[in-house]
Amino acid sequence: MSGFGALRFGRALCLSFGPDLTGGSWLSVLERVAPVTNAVPPGKGETGSRAAALALSWSGLRQMGLEETALASFSRPFREGMLQEDRLRRLGDRRGDDWETTVVPGGPVWSANTPLRASAAGLRGGFDVPDGTAAEAHVTTALSVHAMLLLYTGSDEDASAWCAEVEAALRPVGVTVARSRSLFIDPEHPEQGNISREHFGFADGLSQPDPYDVGGAVTLDDVPVTQPRPVQGVPLGDFLIGYRNGHGEPSPGPVLPVPPPDDDGPAQAGLVRHPTAEGFLDLGLNGSYIVVRELKQDVAAFWQSMDANADRIRRHDPKHASHVTADWIAERVIGRNKDGHLLCPKGTLPPVNGAPNNDYLFWKDDRYAHGCPAGSHVRRANPRDALAPDDASRPSLLEAANRHRILRRGRKYGTSIADPRQDDGQERGLLFMCLNTDIARQFEFVQQTWLLNSSFAMLYGEEDPLLGAPGPMTIREKPLRRIVQVETYVQLVGGDYFFLPSLPALRYFALL
Amino acid sequence: MKQVTLCVPLEVKPESCSRLTAAIEDLKRQEDKSADPNSPNFWRLRERIPTLHFMSISVFPAHDYDPVFILEANFDGPEGAFWNDLTAVVGEELRVMIRCCKRPSDGTGALYDAVTALASKRSVAPYFEARTQRPSVFHHGNRGLACQQILRDHSVFLETVEELDRRAPQLYRGEAPAKVHADLRTALLPNHRWLDDQAPERISPAERITDWAALTLFVLLLLAVAAAPGLLLAGLGVARDHLVAMALASVVATAAALLFWVRHLEVRDSSHDRPRQDERMLREMIRREDWITQNHMGSIVLIKPGVLRTVIVRAGHRGLHLALRALRASRAGYLGSMRTVHFAHWAFLNNHSRLLFFSNFDHSWDSYLDDFIEKAHGGLTLAWGCGVGFPTTRYLVGEGAEHGRQFKAWALASRTVSRFWYSAYPDLTVDQIERNHRIANGLRNKSLDDSAAEAWMLDL
Repeated sequence: MSGFGALRFGRALCLSFGPDLTGGSWLSVLERVAPVTNAVPPGKGETGSRAAALALSWSGLRQMGLEETALASFSRPFREGMLQEDRLRRLGDRRGDDWETTVVPGGPVWSANTPLRASAAGLRGGFDVPDGTAAEAHVTTALSVHAMLLLYTGSDEDASAWCAEVEAALRPVGVTVARSRSLFIDPEHPEQGNISREHFGFADGLSQPDPYDVGGAVTLDDVPVTQPRPVQGVPLGDFLIGYRNGHGEPSPGPVLPVPPPDDDGPAQAGLVRHPTAEGFLDLGLNGSYIVVRELKQDVAAFWQSMDANADRIRRHDPKHASHVTADWIAERVIGRNKDGHLLCPKGTLPPVNGAPNNDYLFWKDDRYAHGCPAGSHVRRANPRDALAPDDASRPSLLEAANRHRILRRGRKYGTSIADPRQDDGQERGLLFMCLNTDIARQFEFVQQTWLLNSSFAMLYGEEDPLLGAPGPMTIREKPLRRIVQVETYVQLVGGDYFFLPSLPALRYFALL
Repeated sequence: MKQVTLCVPLEVKPESCSRLTAAIEDLKRQEDKSADPNSPNFWRLRERIPTLHFMSISVFPAHDYDPVFILEANFDGPEGAFWNDLTAVVGEELRVMIRCCKRPSDGTGALYDAVTALASKRSVAPYFEARTQRPSVFHHGNRGLACQQILRDHSVFLETVEELDRRAPQLYRGEAPAKVHADLRTALLPNHRWLDDQAPERISPAERITDWAALTLFVLLLLAVAAAPGLLLAGLGVARDHLVAMALASVVATAAALLFWVRHLEVRDSSHDRPRQDERMLREMIRREDWITQNHMGSIVLIKPGVLRTVIVRAGHRGLHLALRALRASRAGYLGSMRTVHFAHWAFLNNHSRLLFFSNFDHSWDSYLDDFIEKAHGGLTLAWGCGVGFPTTRYLVGEGAEHGRQFKAWALASRTVSRFWYSAYPDLTVDQIERNHRIANGLRNKSLDDSAAEAWMLDL
């Protein structure tokens, strides 16, 4: 489950299948130039100087010829794709026929272009009359991405070289690289973990769930972790298919009908029988779903907007607002200072062993959000116990919040900006990636019910200040709150839902 | 002002069902003027029925029965006035819908004939009144606040924000809290003269006493029934001198026997963990959701048969209803630790063989169900566990809704499309309504001291 942290560079390649591609033999070609490997936990041997991960879209699996029952057994969000019109509305990307300002003008550039599922809407029975409701719109993008290939390397030069090798090997078998993003992280203190700053300048990727498994599948220093850690403990099944999840059952995944006796491909690939679906093989076990969203960041717009807000507030309140600077506002937009320490009423949370403390709760010390604003990005992205109405319900609210966690594996792309207040015309941003087994309960819930919820935590008409629509953001101070006006600094360029197969599933796909 | 929750279920002529659906869609398009930016959505209902909080009109298809049409409403004040107001606005549209429904076989058949006759001018209001079905349980998220009060409080909130941030951003900075309060009150009073009046009581002492008396009586009645076998034995001469002990022993023994019986039934119950979901229906439901802060759901399930189940369902619903009226947390708008429910409405249909559930809630349907699963699964299992196919339960409150995936699938399959749905304040959450009310109530005070004003300012 490691994100190949030792390999700081890499490429994200959006692979597109040519019209003539069928079957999975291209995966054998890929295997020769970029073998997909299990991630190696930190301190458990060498990852080597290169590592690769591969995820497939529903449309990609369909074109490769995965059989129909198996295709239908994937979860609904994956089968429908991120650009299904109702899903786009819930994710805050599009309302009706209009893209939101948080999407690049004209709409996203790339997606899996998942086809509309067959609907019974056209069927007319006796006595039926049309009710005048419109048909479902098919929202598409210019680029169709059938697979995401992530290459991780120790240097950017090696990433370029490897990328060229992969491209040259795949082209003859009908797979092209439709889009490429150079990924990197640049931790300042690698000994404290891989804390790298995102382009706006804030430490990123700090708060992560701590998986545990009652069956003993998670170990830490060779000791099984079977109980949740107090604040961040989340069952492994929320990130890996087939293990006990937040609903107390093995997380569901796709299946494959047991083939006829003369076809021993699936058995050779290592697929095992499904525990509950009789006569099916478990295609999902040890796999996961990965959400990918390419988010473009406008660094200059962000800092100029912070400057403008600080100027306005100081102008309106010359005597009491000398502390309000662009940095002060930006820290409150994020909820942490630039080094990643959480804001609290008395300043910032003290570090633990030199690194930012991530085992905090909100209710006890910052219930009224005088430190970390209620609508700040970190408080929205994981409210922990902050939404508890009273002291007694804190444990249950924390437990409820932990039913909606995601394992983030994003990396930034593009180059660092020289002067954050001066637009250099370069494209840069975050390739947001997260693992979850229940996309609706985890990623989509976080996006819709926490980040973009305009009435989150008793706020009114405010969305996440980083990812949401332009508008107000409340910052509590005593005695009277201040309100800043945030603009759009982050825009969706493309993305979709992908299936991250286990190695046996991947070997099976290669046999298609 | 007392909020009334009711519904009118009408059986649909199957061959007119599609026509009825189209008529409801037509009505929605006619009232929902979202295409015209100058007229607010549903403005006719908003202006001409000022007492109306929520209303929905939907058709429930079923595998076991002909479809049923249900109009469901939450409003302030007397029912007669509401039906007259409603039919004055959309009476003719509702008449078309009644025509798509069957002639009832009970005493309301003649009324049906009168209102559905060709070119009939007879008001449909009496028909709806006569066919009204009372809820078995209901819960209100902002109990005791009239619709117009909610809207007035909100306009105060909006103007407060406007005053603080645009009109006079410099005026309120660096002032003592008491002065901020006084200045704001002065600024808002001209547009909101009612802030000079005392806030009306949300729940009157008489209502409070009645609620508690009813709950107490209900509990006593349950105890009396449970004690009856022991007292009867005592009457027959067994331990005649220990009446109290016999009564207590009887209550314990009855409870134990009932639990044993319940468990006996539960382990033989079948659940429906993977119900078939109609793709077309699902899409029609989802496409109507998540446009605004609030969402709506309607569901019908069959009730498990059997003597004990029947008794438990009826007594359970009665007890739940009385508890939701009397207990402090639910009076303050909490269902479990959830405060996202504007109303929850259960009613029995078809001689108590089907259970109807309607609710208006904040945020998405998925998050609503997650809330139930994570924060109120016990109460929900008690209320809905009587439904055929409900996930496996344990002693009425255990497990059940804790089987999150199965519970969601079961609930989703029982739903129908909310084709016509109206909310008088669609972008307000239960919490925001309370926040607005606290702000307005603070402004009704002529003055506050600094500490009271500072606490009040947390809401600004």
